[in-house]
Amino acid sequence: MTESEDMSLSQRLATWARLKSPWITIFNSGACNACDIEIIACLTPRFDVERFGILAKGSPRHADILIVTGPVTRKQAPRLRRIYEQMPEPKYVIAMGACGGRGGVFQGLYHVMDEVEQVVPVDVYVAGCPPRPDEIINAVVETLRILKEDVAHGGREWRKKKQVAHAETAPVGEGMESAEAGT
Amino acid sequence: MKDLLALEAVQAVLGGFGPVTQLRSNRIQVVTGVEKARDAIRCAYDGLSCERLIQISTVDLGSTFELTYHLTGLHRTVISIRIEVPREDPAVPSVHDLLPPAGIYERQIHDLFGIFFPGHPNLSRIILNEDWPLKEYPMRKDWKPVKGTFYGGIMEVK
Repeated sequence: MTESEDMSLSQRLATWARLKSPWITIFNSGACNACDIEIIACLTPRFDVERFGILAKGSPRHADILIVTGPVTRKQAPRLRRIYEQMPEPKYVIAMGACGGRGGVFQGLYHVMDEVEQVVPVDVYVAGCPPRPDEIINAVVETLRILKEDVAHGGREWRKKKQVAHAETAPVGEGMESAEAGT
Repeated sequence: MKDLLALEAVQAVLGGFGPVTQLRSNRIQVVTGVEKARDAIRCAYDGLSCERLIQISTVDLGSTFELTYHLTGLHRTVISIRIEVPREDPAVPSVHDLLPPAGIYERQIHDLFGIFFPGHPNLSRIILNEDWPLKEYPMRKDWKPVKGTFYGGIMEVK
């Protein structure tokens, strides 16, 4: 995947820096803290994500990637949306764990949203309860792959359009490509 | 360290409020009425030096709610003062002035069970989201979420 030809030098530099060092922020939206502990385990010397340039930041205004842990409780949903809106573009969301996927054991309870997708658009899901630190690192790497493809396509809109076109027509041969490029 | 309270000592102080039973060596239960709960807690505070509140537990028994004030002190005996609140117009006099932490438990019970505590200074939401609909008490046994009702959070789907 190559970068767009019409990018200026500063844009290319920013993209390079972003791919080299993604900054992540973690938001606990009602998790049991196991996911948060696994993320902290990523920072310990055994996994040490800082050697890949992944920095855990406290403020969403400094971060490129938002990691959401837990099912989004109704109380946390507006706060999560506000956190997401504070992040600078381009921004990506990783929903973490079984709860982030579809509610997990909290699915259908009165105080949780049905899915994270209702509150913020999710790019990558990580399975597991809780996921291992290497799976979290893999998710961040996967997010960078999506970021790279978005840069090549000039934005994140291409993913939505492709899905719609695929659903309407689904020509032979297109499915393979979208399955390969899809998230 | 002080010794555990004896059943006779509790009987002497709290016997006037209702039947006193010993559940375990360190648990003594007094069953009393809604109106006498405040006086019972004050007597336990003054007469038995139960100046600590462990929690206020609430159970929905169908026709009534059962509130239990678990009190303890340096003697390590848990005095449970149990009252039954009618389901229609549930109201219990607040004890936040006797035991300040009780105010937070009362806000929580009001949130989830819909029991009112007259005398509480600020009976606002503490555990449910701010946009939760009024008159919906999710911990009641007969509560079911109504389809199509907005229970807070984010309304529109992104």
